[in-house]
Amino acid sequence: MDTSNPAILVNGNLLPTHVRKRVRTVIQVLNSDRGSVIGKSTDDQQLVIKGSPPSTPLTKFVEVIGIADSDKSIQAEIWTNFGDNFDASSFNQLCQLANGEYQHLFL
Amino acid sequence: MFSSSQFDGGFMASQSTQMGDGTPSAAKTRDSHGLVPATVKMISQASQSGDEKSKFAINGVDVTNVTVVGMVSDIVEKVTDMGFIIDDGTGRIGCKRWVSDGFDKMEAEAIQDGKYVRVNGHLNSYQGTTNLVAFSVRPVTNFDEVTFHHIDCIYSYLQNTKTKLPQKGESSFSTPVKTEPNGFQTSSMDHLSKQYSIDGLKDCDQLVLECLKQSSDMGQEKGMHVDEVCKHLKLPLEKIKESVRSLEDEGLIYSTIDEFHYKAT
Repeated sequence: MDTSNPAILVNGNLLPTHVRKRVRTVIQVLNSDRGSVIGKSTDDQQLVIKGSPPSTPLTKFVEVIGIADSDKSIQAEIWTNFGDNFDASSFNQLCQLANGEYQHLFL
Repeated sequence: MFSSSQFDGGFMASQSTQMGDGTPSAAKTRDSHGLVPATVKMISQASQSGDEKSKFAINGVDVTNVTVVGMVSDIVEKVTDMGFIIDDGTGRIGCKRWVSDGFDKMEAEAIQDGKYVRVNGHLNSYQGTTNLVAFSVRPVTNFDEVTFHHIDCIYSYLQNTKTKLPQKGESSFSTPVKTEPNGFQTSSMDHLSKQYSIDGLKDCDQLVLECLKQSSDMGQEKGMHVDEVCKHLKLPLEKIKESVRSLEDEGLIYSTIDEFHYKAT
């Protein structure tokens, strides 16, 4: 069992507090390019996800796990399609809880 | 929605079938014999009792079975069992699924690198490390399950820590703990959680009672209409009606000229 390398649940507002750390978030894909994807976070902020997405087509919602390299971008290591129906507001609230008073359950 | 919102006697209604594999939560008692949702971080913080290495306690509650949702990696297939690692974002834990009659092809297909699965099993301590002996591994098909599981972990933590508080009165309403998961379905969690005080008489009830006391102090014989209370306190009518019912049960208020007018005793 190993808890040395967690991925912190973030949304657009929380990302700046975890720059240079390993984070995970779910974004709604707005635009995808070779080398980067522009996405909307669950709190309606625009984020840039760098890296190459997997060869399979991206669904509307994608989870990315990687290193936050700036206030508004993540260098993605792992991409997971989260489908076209995803409750973004619940995920957003979870991010707030997981970084707030229940942080000790996650980090 | 995926959260359980109907509470009665301490049991959490099982999740909607959209989940694919609803897991009943632990019973209200301190000895949790049900399936406890946990993050790997919570498992790493679990205490082990004495010589019996197989006894774990999370948040002070004995835990037998846990449910974890995470991503599969490092699969090791053997003749007798299948080993893999689950990473749920809070940590990584080794899992083992014994190959037996129950282990059908669909389960085997679910266990693939990079796929999200729900693993149900019991905790086991072996050679200084904790791992999960799984009796069920199911693929996650609707990813709201991932969000739900993490919220479920928070809920389970709250349920196990807050049941220590004494409950006064025969209030028919759910305990402070049970309102927490409902919070995210409505406008704001903080608003709801503040409404509930520890001593059994909820803040909302207090407000209604105060309001009715004030009106009878001002000499109103027939008491106050529930709509007036509603306007005065700026709370939804449903909440006022619930409080009125509860206060009436307690014997703190009584109806006067009709079922809408109430007065404090």
